[in-house]
Amino acid sequence: MLTEKILQEFETILGKERILTSKEDLLSYAYDAYVEEYLPEAVLFPKTSAEVSQIMKVASTHRVFVTPRGAGSGLAACSLAKQGGVILCFTMMNRVLEINKPNRYAVVEPGVVVSEFQKEVEKIGLFYPPDPGSATVATMGGTVLMNAGGMRGIKYGVTRDYLMGLEVVLPSGEVIQTGSLTAKDVTGYDLTRLICGSEGTLALVTRIIVRLLPKPKARRTLQAIYHTIDQAGNTVARIVEEGIIPATLELMDKVIIKALEDYAHLGLPLDAEAILLIEVDGDQASVEKQAGMIAEFCRGQGARDVRVSQSEKESEQLWMARRGAFGAVARMRPSCVIEDATVPVSFLTRAIKEVRTIAQRNQVQIAVLAHAGDGNLHPLVLCDLRDQEEMKRVEKAMDEIVDFAMAVGGVLSGEHGIGIAKAKYLPRQLSPQALNLMRALKKTFDPQGILNPGSFLECAP
Amino acid sequence: MISKNLREEVHNCIKCGICLTPCPVYKQRLVEATSPRGKVQLIRNVMEGNLELSENFTRILFTCLLCETCTVNCPSGLQVDQLMKAMRVEVIEKFGLPGKKKFLFELLTGKRLLPFYLFWGRVLRNNLLPLLPVKGKVGTIPLKKFPRLSRQPLLKKIPEVISVPEPKGRVLYFTGCATNYLDGEIGRATIEILVRLGVEVVVPKDQMCCGLPIFLAGAPQMALPNILKNVALFNRQDVDAVVVECATCGAALKKEYPHILREMGQNAEKAEALSRKVLDISQYLMKFDLGKMLRPLKGKVTYHDPCHLLRSQGVKDEPRALLRQIPELDFVEMGGADVCCGGGGTFQWEHPEISENITAQKIGNIEETGANYVATGCPGCRLQIFGNLRKDGVEVVHPVQLISRSLGSPISRA
Repeated sequence: MLTEKILQEFETILGKERILTSKEDLLSYAYDAYVEEYLPEAVLFPKTSAEVSQIMKVASTHRVFVTPRGAGSGLAACSLAKQGGVILCFTMMNRVLEINKPNRYAVVEPGVVVSEFQKEVEKIGLFYPPDPGSATVATMGGTVLMNAGGMRGIKYGVTRDYLMGLEVVLPSGEVIQTGSLTAKDVTGYDLTRLICGSEGTLALVTRIIVRLLPKPKARRTLQAIYHTIDQAGNTVARIVEEGIIPATLELMDKVIIKALEDYAHLGLPLDAEAILLIEVDGDQASVEKQAGMIAEFCRGQGARDVRVSQSEKESEQLWMARRGAFGAVARMRPSCVIEDATVPVSFLTRAIKEVRTIAQRNQVQIAVLAHAGDGNLHPLVLCDLRDQEEMKRVEKAMDEIVDFAMAVGGVLSGEHGIGIAKAKYLPRQLSPQALNLMRALKKTFDPQGILNPGSFLECAP
Repeated sequence: MISKNLREEVHNCIKCGICLTPCPVYKQRLVEATSPRGKVQLIRNVMEGNLELSENFTRILFTCLLCETCTVNCPSGLQVDQLMKAMRVEVIEKFGLPGKKKFLFELLTGKRLLPFYLFWGRVLRNNLLPLLPVKGKVGTIPLKKFPRLSRQPLLKKIPEVISVPEPKGRVLYFTGCATNYLDGEIGRATIEILVRLGVEVVVPKDQMCCGLPIFLAGAPQMALPNILKNVALFNRQDVDAVVVECATCGAALKKEYPHILREMGQNAEKAEALSRKVLDISQYLMKFDLGKMLRPLKGKVTYHDPCHLLRSQGVKDEPRALLRQIPELDFVEMGGADVCCGGGGTFQWEHPEISENITAQKIGNIEETGANYVATGCPGCRLQIFGNLRKDGVEVVHPVQLISRSLGSPISRA
């Protein structure tokens, strides 16, 4: 319980302006992009790691629950005060501290917005590849704690692959550095990558060192339209088989095609079953060559229409469909729950068909987007949260999607996280021993259990 | 009461947060309740009975520029601005208008306008102005940079019908308060360009303040007589178009009137008919071949998109195309031209600490272009930009002023 006295201690650290306690403010920190809501008791806005450290000292002295939060664009309630306590919101700790071109790294504070950071580094010819769909909202700290992925995963990997080091504050208030500024470092356990994806249960990130790449010189976008899902799936397999690794390989199914046509009128054929959007990047010569080969594969697998962009502008036009997809689908019904099961890439076609069958069986509307190159499905489940009977069918459909993913060696969540959204499925993927080991790790970092209580480890059966 | 349609909107927000970063106010405050998502969710809580219409809620609701950036960016297509405007009406019904706004709006609805104008404008204020403290400010704008009232309203000085031999067109001209009372040059420039193009201009003398500032402050009942009067005066089918050079008045006539009337349970048919006739001056002028009539005008111009023109009316290309036609005038696009200037009507007055930083960015972007003209079709934006410019040498104008100068018109040279 947060007493007046504890609040005063926080006030001596942050001052009155950076602590919010009004009902209106608390209500606006009760949600993220998931459906459940939990009211915090106060929201604190630190600006330095020293402040975070002091806050944690007070919190651990009085055993106050603390939940870290960035922009609140997460999809699994990870940044919500699920058992009360305070929200530590990092949006005001948002400076880019250093962009080092010779050594190709950058140091940022956790509240920096991902896409803003990307723009900064691209100005000087560098490139930070992780690009979750929420990149224009999400903070760097949030993407580190959630190990966010995105469309470029197939070629460039995920957030974890760009982390060199962190400054973190432990629940006790101690500040530690993990990792280093060097490309190679085998000193001790890799705490950086342990904390990455920990969903804010182990430590608070106050500084992030990321690796940067040179910005690719050229890119080409291809759009291929298919009569059947199989043709699209076979094209993906053919590209993989040839050893070409595109930067992105996105699939949209017919529900999305229809939604896009209804809303944006892009001239897509309504009788098509699937569209692939493929981007290759790199130096000019290899981009040309790969685009040509992929276009041939698409035609070879029976694509009814293949377009290759000839300019940045045309690339942008082709991407409009993909960018608008989520919104177009989200407009169809009040709510849109985004599934995130991921399968080994060779099961992609089967998985999409399975989702379709599951949707029909449960009388639920599902549109399928997929990061096809890495087997990451995003079934968009359309519903109205207020309709309890419908929500039961939705839940059953989600259970069945998980069943399928597990049966083919897939995972519960590719990039959105477990949180409370998928905690109940956790034992389906993790053995009791693995879960115990994780709980022991949690206890080592956070013996009092004050950091992000009610997280996936506690919710898992 | 908020209409059923709008009540449903709160349930369409999937809380993705895409509206956060583009919101100029959130970007300054970085606190959720200042974001569009925050406000929509609080409105949902009000509707679901979890939150009372508190003074704090009211303050939050009015910590918004109504720049509509959220509405155009929302992936789910939520009418965020309409929802917030409707909610403003509810809280003002409960708490009433703040005193200074009430006074201002009573002036604009015409009850005390003329006596005030005569007394304040001609007798008091213009003479008092030099006596005011040099460092005094209203919001972010130094008092000395506030425009003086014209000696006589434009509408008093021009005939109702400005006819031309063998007219190539016929328009109704809605001048708006700013042009009528503060900056007659813009009105004269507008009329002169139209006349030079051979267009007959009809300027209904009884036109009222468009009422939009009053509606946006949450007092539609107070704005209603103005709206009805303007609809009655301007809904005429014997003209090619109703032209407006003020972005806000244009947004009122083009977009908001039908919506406001429907929300208030009034018949909106005439307002809809009027809406179909309304064109921004830049849209109307682009129907003509002005290019060959224009003479060189040396210098460099950049253009700022008013929220009420770009987002409310969807006008983006025409003002730019218009300026690009002027020979020897170098057009440079500024960074973030489509970002709100931070003025937001009375917002800059109520939240100068937020406005200040938003406007500083705009000023920085303008200065970076090296332009000596900033053109924009909104009196609020012009005041906000002019009031915050740090150095001389940049003139803030309406695009029609540059066109008129390029035409070599006698009025604007005077």
